[in-house]
Amino acid sequence: MAVSKKESMLVNEDGMEEESDMGDDLSDSELEQESDEEGDVELTEPSKNAIYNKDGLLDKLGDMSWPENAKWVDKLTVDIEQEQPVDVNDDLTRELAFYTQALNGTRMAFEKLQSMGLPFLRPEDYYAEMVKSDSHMEKNQKLKERAKQKKESIESVKKWRKQRQQSGFAGGDKGSELDSAFEDGKPFEKSSNKRTGVAPGDRTGGKAKYAGKGKKPKKREIKDTKFGYGGRKGSKKQNVAETTNDLRGFNKEDGFSRNKKKMM
Amino acid sequence: MAKKRKHSEADAASQKKEEVAPERPKRTLLGWKGKKDDQVKESDSTTVFRNKEKVLVTCSRRINYRYRHLMLNVVDLLPHCKKDNKVESKSSKGATLNELVELKSCSSCLFFECRKGKDLYMWMAKSPNGPSVKFLVNAVHTMEELKLTGNHLKGSRPLLTFSSNFDKDPHWKLLKEMITQIFGTPKEHRKSKPYHDHVFVFSIVDDHIWFRNYQISVPHNESDKIARGGLDKMTLIEVGPRFCLNPIKIFAGSFGGPTLYENPFYISPNQIRSMQKKKKAGTFVKKVKAKTRRKIHELENPLEQDEFAEMWKE
Repeated sequence: MAVSKKESMLVNEDGMEEESDMGDDLSDSELEQESDEEGDVELTEPSKNAIYNKDGLLDKLGDMSWPENAKWVDKLTVDIEQEQPVDVNDDLTRELAFYTQALNGTRMAFEKLQSMGLPFLRPEDYYAEMVKSDSHMEKNQKLKERAKQKKESIESVKKWRKQRQQSGFAGGDKGSELDSAFEDGKPFEKSSNKRTGVAPGDRTGGKAKYAGKGKKPKKREIKDTKFGYGGRKGSKKQNVAETTNDLRGFNKEDGFSRNKKKMM
Repeated sequence: MAKKRKHSEADAASQKKEEVAPERPKRTLLGWKGKKDDQVKESDSTTVFRNKEKVLVTCSRRINYRYRHLMLNVVDLLPHCKKDNKVESKSSKGATLNELVELKSCSSCLFFECRKGKDLYMWMAKSPNGPSVKFLVNAVHTMEELKLTGNHLKGSRPLLTFSSNFDKDPHWKLLKEMITQIFGTPKEHRKSKPYHDHVFVFSIVDDHIWFRNYQISVPHNESDKIARGGLDKMTLIEVGPRFCLNPIKIFAGSFGGPTLYENPFYISPNQIRSMQKKKKAGTFVKKVKAKTRRKIHELENPLEQDEFAEMWKE
């Protein structure tokens, strides 16, 4: 297939060009590069040497399309006007646009079918093979029920809490705190500090991570050789006479930039 | 076979005879039949259009399970299709596919080509001499996903809805025609069912064709035997699958031929990946550069001696 080969050649060429472009950018200015990185990797400008043979396309369309006498019932197509340009990245509006298109389309199609006097709705007693199996649909049903139950339970708890608050019970304000935790959706998350009431340096009684195997994983070993393992950290971090006036490790701009970010 | 051949030979012979012999008006019981009548009859026979579309659905070897499921879903949706074995995707696949389509007596083909186990390309081709299109498939969701809760009859004819921007450009027009021919189930197909309970959505958003499949659920009047419900109470439930097609190229022939259209905005996923990698590599290079720059800067303008530097040293 000559065409595909040719295509791949083209792609290669494009890639080469872009590579060289990237190299130039790096050497020119790094700041610009940084700002570019935020955006997607997409051609904003259309490539100029793309083929677009309009006459050929229309000719082909004429060749392949059905004869004039093909009725609408053969095609069952409906064209729907899109009210406004849809934002692709907004999932909700996009899906809504598709839904409304389908809904309007079916309405129009059904009206047409009705005017033709054709049966188009499936009677209640018409049983036939479906696209999805019964077991699959059962699973679906279970999932739905479970979601519903969960929702109900949460709502009932909320209701009960509200009632308690209204009744003037002493623990009212505490309840509201709990409520907010509930709404986060992670009510049963573990607290970040694992062991309470134990000195921070104490490693006794820690979790025996590799107890079963008796051997560390290889990655851990490598990391330990690289960064060191065990011993007290405190003494390493203290200043000594040589380091008191050494400000090389101190980054002046760091704090500033961090503040700036916060302001933003 | 032999009998058939004889028959065909006889046919050919008769055709030859007809060519040689001058046309004679046919004879009926009451006399000679008028020529005018004949012509009318011929035109009647041409007005009856019968859609005999058959779609071959195959995929390449080493296809991802997810994409394979998508293909199987498409097979479920198209009762007028034939599924075939996987095809080795080589440079000569166009020729083999054309052969295969002819062998199966199909008139069009959907070929799912998976590359590197992660990129799915879909070829949509009209077989003998029609155009063929290569798409990149994005945003795939199969029918098995549980959030898609709808269901519909297997083989009922779908309604096809298109967004109006399909009529804007010639290449979209061509694609619309191809989609109607391939995705529309032929009327009175032997595997199709007589009711319409699902609808396909083809919509162009951001120069991609988005596909959705919804079940139509209309509240029924049990007393109404003909079953015509209120259109206002109609709701749709999504059945799936979902996918998004990015047209790459349109060829004049089937699986080849001169290029009619090329998507000017298209970048292959390989290129995108390589660019992303390059960016990642760039961060480390930048770090190293910044460090060396800092060092040079420090060497160039050293700090002046601090008068209290020796204070704490004995």
